[in-house]
Formats: sequence, structure tokens, C-alpha cells
Amino acid sequence: MSRIGVFICHCGENISRTVDVERVAQEVGRLPGVAFSTDYKYMCSDPGQTLVKKAIQEQKLSHVVVAACSPRMHEKTFRKAVEAAGLNPFLCEMANIREHCSWVHENREEATVKAIDIVGMMVERVKKNRILPTITVPVTKRALVIGGGIAGIQAALDIADCGHEVILVEREPSIGGHMAQLSETFPTLDCSQCIMTPKMVDVANHPKIKLYTYSEIELVEGYIGNFQVTIKKKARSVDEDKCTGCGVCMTKCPQKKIPNKFDQNIGMRTAIYVPFPQAVPNTPVIDRDNCTWFKTGKCGVCQKVCGPGAIDFEQQDTLIVEAVGAIVVSTGFDLYTIAEKPKGSPIKGYGEFGHGKIPDVIDGMTFERLASASGPTGGKILRPSDGKEPKQIVFIQCVGSRAREKGISYCSKVCCMYTAKHTMLYHHKVHDGQAYVFFMDARTPGKSYDEFWRRSIEEEEAVYIRGMVSRLYQKGDKIVVMGSDISVGVQVEIEADMVVLATAIQPQKGADALAQKLGISYDKYHFYSEAHAKLRPVECATAGIYLAGACQGPKDIPETVSQASAAAAKVMALFSRNQMEREPIVARVREAGCVGCFACKKVCAYGAVEEKEIRDRQGNLIKVVAYVNPGVCAGCGTCQATCPSKSVELDGYTDEQIIAMIEAL
Amino acid sequence: MIKKKMIISQETMDVDFVRKVEALAGTSVRRCFQCGKCSAGCPMATFMEHPPNRIMRLLQLGQWQRVLAGRSIWYCVSCETCTTRCPNTVDLASIMDALRKLSWDSDGASKESYVQLANKLFLQNIRTYGRQYEMRLAAVFNVKSGQFLKDLMLGPKLIAKGKLKMFHSKNKNISEIEKIFTRIEEMRKKGDAL
Ligand SMILES: Cc1cc2nc3c(=O)[nH]c(=O)nc-3n(C[C@H](O)[C@H](O)[C@H](O)COP(=O)(O)OP(=O)(O)OC[C@H]3O[C@@H](n4cnc5c(N)ncnc54)[C@H](O)[C@@H]3O)c2cc1C
Ligand code: SF4
Ligand code: SF4
Ligand code: SF4
Ligand code: SF4
Repeated sequence: MSRIGVFICHCGENISRTVDVERVAQEVGRLPGVAFSTDYKYMCSDPGQTLVKKAIQEQKLSHVVVAACSPRMHEKTFRKAVEAAGLNPFLCEMANIREHCSWVHENREEATVKAIDIVGMMVERVKKNRILPTITVPVTKRALVIGGGIAGIQAALDIADCGHEVILVEREPSIGGHMAQLSETFPTLDCSQCIMTPKMVDVANHPKIKLYTYSEIELVEGYIGNFQVTIKKKARSVDEDKCTGCGVCMTKCPQKKIPNKFDQNIGMRTAIYVPFPQAVPNTPVIDRDNCTWFKTGKCGVCQKVCGPGAIDFEQQDTLIVEAVGAIVVSTGFDLYTIAEKPKGSPIKGYGEFGHGKIPDVIDGMTFERLASASGPTGGKILRPSDGKEPKQIVFIQCVGSRAREKGISYCSKVCCMYTAKHTMLYHHKVHDGQAYVFFMDARTPGKSYDEFWRRSIEEEEAVYIRGMVSRLYQKGDKIVVMGSDISVGVQVEIEADMVVLATAIQPQKGADALAQKLGISYDKYHFYSEAHAKLRPVECATAGIYLAGACQGPKDIPETVSQASAAAAKVMALFSRNQMEREPIVARVREAGCVGCFACKKVCAYGAVEEKEIRDRQGNLIKVVAYVNPGVCAGCGTCQATCPSKSVELDGYTDEQIIAMIEAL
Repeated sequence: MIKKKMIISQETMDVDFVRKVEALAGTSVRRCFQCGKCSAGCPMATFMEHPPNRIMRLLQLGQWQRVLAGRSIWYCVSCETCTTRCPNTVDLASIMDALRKLSWDSDGASKESYVQLANKLFLQNIRTYGRQYEMRLAAVFNVKSGQFLKDLMLGPKLIAKGKLKMFHSKNKNISEIEKIFTRIEEMRKKGDAL
């Protein structure tokens, strides 16, 4: 006979406000098998846990049900407490009477009755719980970092400095990400390249970091501590071991007019190129779509001039498999464009701003390239259309952001600050010019941030106009800006020479496809989701995968770097152990019943099902059955639901347990 | 335009009125975050004492008297630029419609605006005569709006051109027209029409 202890939590008032917890404790106390039942204000607190432990010992309890919040929140807490009191942790279950009851109901009587039912179901279930031994798995102490922006660079350096090997995979020919494109950075106006490039060089020289640029993730298998990752290294057409980075090929390549993405397409590059002079690695790549050799089979100039003979037109994409124990995802962001979007797309462009067809209406990143000393204009602010210096420049904030009509309702967080920065950079460079900013709010929380914004107005004399812009159109060589000043309550019109749009921060293109490969979740915009918005902000719900930087949501550099170091710390904590425990919630095959149809093998998303031969004593093959590798099984239960002969059971979620719950209702 | 200090309290913020506007317009008033994009593009904003975004703000504060006392809602030409441009999908043009309708029902609210008075007299004439009787419209309008001499000098010119008749002629099918008016009145009572 079981001696079950039931512990009902008030959760402050979160539960007791709508559920009569004392009545629940009394009524479930009368259920067969329940030896003890009580309620308490905060069961998860130290005195609450002590209450559970003491009851287990004094009342000689065999099973425990804690009726409180979601198991996602505190199942671990209570199982640990139960274990400390000498019971197997899997003899403890949680009944969720907060999210599933008190938070979603208003009527106290009905909520109380429902809570009694929920607890009653768990009481019947826990009676069928079996002792489960914990499973330990080895930990591979190597980390994979995906994306080499400032987030990936920081995480890789931190982990490598701790003595662990790091594989850094970057899609572009060079690491650096968006920060490498920036001119000067708020709130201190230090030059981005100057603080960024030393870190990039550190990555290249670090003995513990293996860098794969121009590479992408092809496949991810395995689980925390034991991932196998297949990386596709795209053909560079240049042998990295032979190339000395002299750059002579680039000076001789006849294809010189290819828009350079790094310069937001206002600067030009050759077909064989490095995106920017400080690129890491500084081995060039041949852009096969634009190379004469690949288009016509003629040219080959680069091959002729290359001293060490590094040019290799025959190079193929290669697949490399790496074993790692943890993954940091730091794939960053992409910028929203006002261009026309395909029909039916949830995100819309800005017809009222000319859909990106007015040449001197540019975005903030293009302004960064114009303002950058190493940019295509050498740091001069010049209009893309005619190369003239704009004397009246208008900045418009919140373009795409905070506009649910356009499909995005979030705030991009960094544009208020970088627009203030842009007005300063502009006034530093164009002394007889005037900058105007159309804005709704100035969002400047952060150390020295508001002071920075105020400086742009009070000292650098930018004119801020509180109100949005309805339309932009070309009139001669001017752009007419039709806005409003809501403080005065009148319409405002400015004839500008150039307009800069603070466009929204969006996740990288293909962020969803990568998430599916990794098995991590993402929100409706495709930003990656953290396990808990407040308490687990750098971990994914999928164990062993961590997040850093703007791929999780808009962030500035200080925040990105902090999150990257935090993710690195999580990885290091994981690597501090040789073995790790994992939950024994895994599927098991009843070999006697298995008919060897392997329906389970087909549906298992984790590749955990193997084939096992059963032989008699003479060694004759009797049959082939399914076998679930407990190291790989993720406990999703898909096989259990699929098996036509009912021969697979998920430990902790057996049919017997589920049926007991249903019958208790 | 009312310029008095706004005393804000639960009593002075008329939430019921706002709910009525929302129900009629099928759009949310609270959703507006005062970006001013509607006002930036409104072709009539320069004539309004409250540009469209400020109408929204006054509504959010339940200050409908201030909205209806002005002439802004009557200058709106229902071009729907505001609705098209609003980043928050607030259907401001429909709110303008709803306000005009509610102003009609709230007696004397729109004192400062003669548009409503003119509209009412216009329809009254149609109901009585079956067609417009311009001379009467002008005379009654001037009396009711207290501007007795308004546009007086225009009269002779219009008469000379035959645009203004001294006497009215009645429409033969006046009973049919009356039917239309009563039907609409009944529908409005039942809530089937605005
Ligand atoms: C115009 C502008 C100005 C700014 N100015 C400032 C400023 O002054 N100060 C400040 O603090 N912040 C500023 N920011 C914000 C700053 O740019 C970001 O905080 C920072 O770049 C985020 O770094 P990240 O590494 O997360 O992302 P990113 O810089 O976007 O790096 C992501 C990297 O991952 C790579 N990648 C993407 N997908 C894959 C994939 N599938 N596989 C492999 N690699 C992949 C990308 O190629 C890229 O190299 C500005 C932003 C903008 C838009
Ligand atoms: S072969 Fe291609 S990359 Fe080389 S020089 Fe010719 S065009 Fe340039
Ligand atoms: S940071 Fe500023 S400009 Fe950017 S979306 Fe938010 S409020 Fe708008
Ligand atoms: S519908 Fe009315 S308020 Fe809206 S833009 Fe047109 S005139 Fe202005
Ligand atoms: S455009 Fe929309 S959100 Fe902006 S002020 Fe007008 S109604 Fe409000």
C-alpha cells in the first residue's frame, strides 16, 4: 500500500486567490493511499522544502505529489528535495494548479473543484510511478559557435581562453558581422574597427579556436554533451594553406564593378575579393556568379599572377563532421528594407517612402559605411545619386519597427541611439549642414545613453521633431519629407538632400531553417527563444544549446557582449564535469511484443532507435527487434504513440500511468 | 476650441462614449500611440483646430466634448489617408465617421461648427419640400447661426443667374420621400442604421 504525501502550495496568492487550498488539502487527504496532506504559502521556499522532507521521514511516505505551478518551473526543485529525503526523485510528481487552474479561472468554487480533480489524477498516476535510475553520459569538451559577429567572437574567445577547443563557423568569407561595418559606436564614439579588429585577430591566432569561414551548418545530430555536427565548407576557389594574403589577384581582376555587400552596395569590389581590408582570414574568395572564368571559361588572370599558386578553380564544397558537447548560436540580425514585399508576406514594405527606389533615401547601415573612414567615400558624407554633400539631412526613426500594419510590432532597441550618433557624426563632418530627426519616443535606457542623446540636441544642435512622416517623394534633386510635429500640432515639410531611415532589426534570413536543424524554438519573427525570459535568458529549451547576441532579439554591442560571455560561462559550467546526468525519461522496448516492423525507427526524430538481433542459445537468429539507445532518446514519446503492437513504453509516461489519470476523473 | 484646463478623473473621462465610438468604427482607440503619421498626411489637417492624431488623443482621455465642439471632424473629407498610413492599423477615417454620427445625436455639441447645422437644415428642407429650397436654407441658416448678414451680397447675383429661386416648388412624390425618412428613422431607432 502506498503512503502518498500531497503538498498544496498557495504560491503567495497566485493560487490561493482563486483556489481554496485548505479544502483541496482536506479532500485529497481522504483519497485512498494518501497518508498525509497539507498546504503552505511558498512550497518551493526553503521552509517549504523542509516541510516536504520532514514529512517524508516522519510519515514514512512512499510517493509525493506537489500541487503548485508548472513542472517546467519547479519539478527539478522538488525532485531534488525528495531525493535528499531518501526517496527516488521519480516518485515525485507535480500537479499544476496554477497555469492550468488558478490563473485561468475566476470562479472560486469551480476552480477549487478542478484543483481537487487535478491533484486526484496525479495521486492515481504517482501510484504507478516506478523507481528510475539516473542515466549518465560523457561530455565532449569542445564547443561549436555558429556566427562570427561580435557575439560569436566574444563567446569563442571566452570558452577558448578557458582551455576548451572551439569550432567557429561563419557563413561569410570573413568574421566580424555587422559591428565590422560600423563607423563609430555609441555611447562613447570609439571607432568600431579599432576595438573590433584586435578581437578578430585574436580569434585567428588562438590555438584553441578552429575557424571555418564561408561555411554553413548542414546537419546537427546528438544531444547535450554529445553533438555531431556536419559543416559544409563552401568552395573558396583559393587554397587557404597556400595563399599569403598579398592581394595581388584583387588588383588585377578585370571584374571591378561588383557591388560590395559589406559597403551596403555603394562601394565596388572585384570578383576575387575579401569583403574589407581587415578581413579575418584575409584569404580571398572567388564569387563564382560574377567571375569571368566561371561564366565563360576564359580569363584566369588571378591564377597567372598568384605567386604561391593558390588559385584553385576546381575546388569543391566539402563536408566536415565535428563532435562537440555544446553549441552557442550567435547568428545575429539582418536589416529590414522598405522594398516591395511579395504578395501575402506578413511583412510589408513602404510604398509611401518610394519602396527604396529614391536613390538618396538610404538606411542607417549605409550611413555607417559613408561615415566610416575605411568606407567607399573615405568617411565623407556624400549622396549616392550625385556625390554631393547633403546640407539638409532628415533621419526617420521606427521605420518598420513598432508598426504592426507593416508586420512588426516590436521596438528595435538600437536605432534611437544610433540615430543620435548619426546626427553627431553628420555635424562633425558637415559643418554647414543641419540634421533633423522625426521620432516618436527617444528610447535611451542604458549607462550614459540619455546624456548621449541630449548631447546630440543641446550641443550638436540636431533638430528633433516629435511626429512621423507620411510620405517621401523626389522633387528635382530634393526629397520632400511630409511630416508632422505633434507637440505643436501642425504639419511640417522639409526639402531634404538626403534621408536616412532607421530600419528595423530582423533575424537573419534562414534563421528558421537553422533552428529546425538545431531543434530549437523561435518566435513568430524567427528570433530564437530563450528557455525562460527572465531566469534562463541565454539557454535554449533544448539542452546544450545557448544563445548570444541579436539572433535572440535586438541588442546593442554592450548587451551582445554580456550575453556572449554569459553563454560562454554556461558552456564552461557544462564542461567542468566529465559526465553529466540526464533524466531517465527514455523509451524502452518490450522485446517479447515487438514484431520488428520498425515503425518507431521511422518516426524517431533523434535517430535513437536501433535494430537488435535476438538469438537462441545455439546462436540461431530468432527475430530482429527495436532497441532504443537511452543516450540518444530525447523522451518525446513519438515511438510509443506509433507502435502498432504497443511494445514501446516511455519511462515516466507509461500507458498505465496515463490511464490511471483518466480513470481518476 | 475649448482651451480650459483638463481636469482628469474617472468621472471626467467618458469611457462609455469611447466604447460607442469603437463599436461604431470597428477599431481601437487605445491602440493609437501618437506617432502623428495620420496628421502628417491628412490633406485637411491645416484647416482643423485638432489634427487627426489629437482627436485620437482627446478620445483616449474621454474628452469628447472637446472633440465635438470643434470643426475638425467636419473638415475631414473621408479620403482615408490616415487609415492607410497608420502603423497601428487604427481606422481613423471610420472614427471620424462615427464622431460625425455621434455629434448629430448629441444636441448642440458642435456649436462652433455650422456644418452640422447646414446639414440638418438641408435635410429638413428635403423632407418638407421634396427638393431643396435654397432661399429658405440660407435664411434659416443665417438666423440660427446668428450671422444675419452672412453672404448677403451674393443673393442678388445668384438670383440674377437663376440659381436662387424666391419661391419653392413642391415635389409631386413628396409622400415617397417621407417614406424614406421614416424608414431610416425606424432603422436608427432599432440600431440597424447609423
Ligand atoms: C545602423 C546600425 C548602427 C549600430 N550602431 C551601434 C553602435 O554605435 N553601438 C552599439 O552598441 N551597437 C550598435 N548597433 C548594434 C550592433 O550592430 C549589434 O549589437 C551587433 O552587431 C550584434 O552582434 P551579433 O554578433 O549578435 O550579430 P551580427 O553582427 O549580425 O553577426 C552575426 C554573424 O553571424 C553570421 N551568420 C548568420 N547566419 C549564419 C549561419 N546560418 N551560419 C553561419 N554564420 C551565420 C553572420 O554572417 C554574421 O557574421 C548598430 C546597429 C545598426 C543596424
Ligand atoms: S578568373 Fe575570375 S576572379 Fe580571377 S581575375 Fe578573372 S574574373 Fe577575376
Ligand atoms: S529604438 Fe527607437 S527608433 Fe528604434 S524602433 Fe525603438 S523607438 Fe523606434
Ligand atoms: S480621412 Fe479625414 S482625417 Fe483622415 S486623412 Fe482624410 S481628411 Fe484627414
Ligand atoms: S497614425 Fe495611427 S497611431 Fe499614429 S497618431 Fe494617427 S491614429 Fe495614432
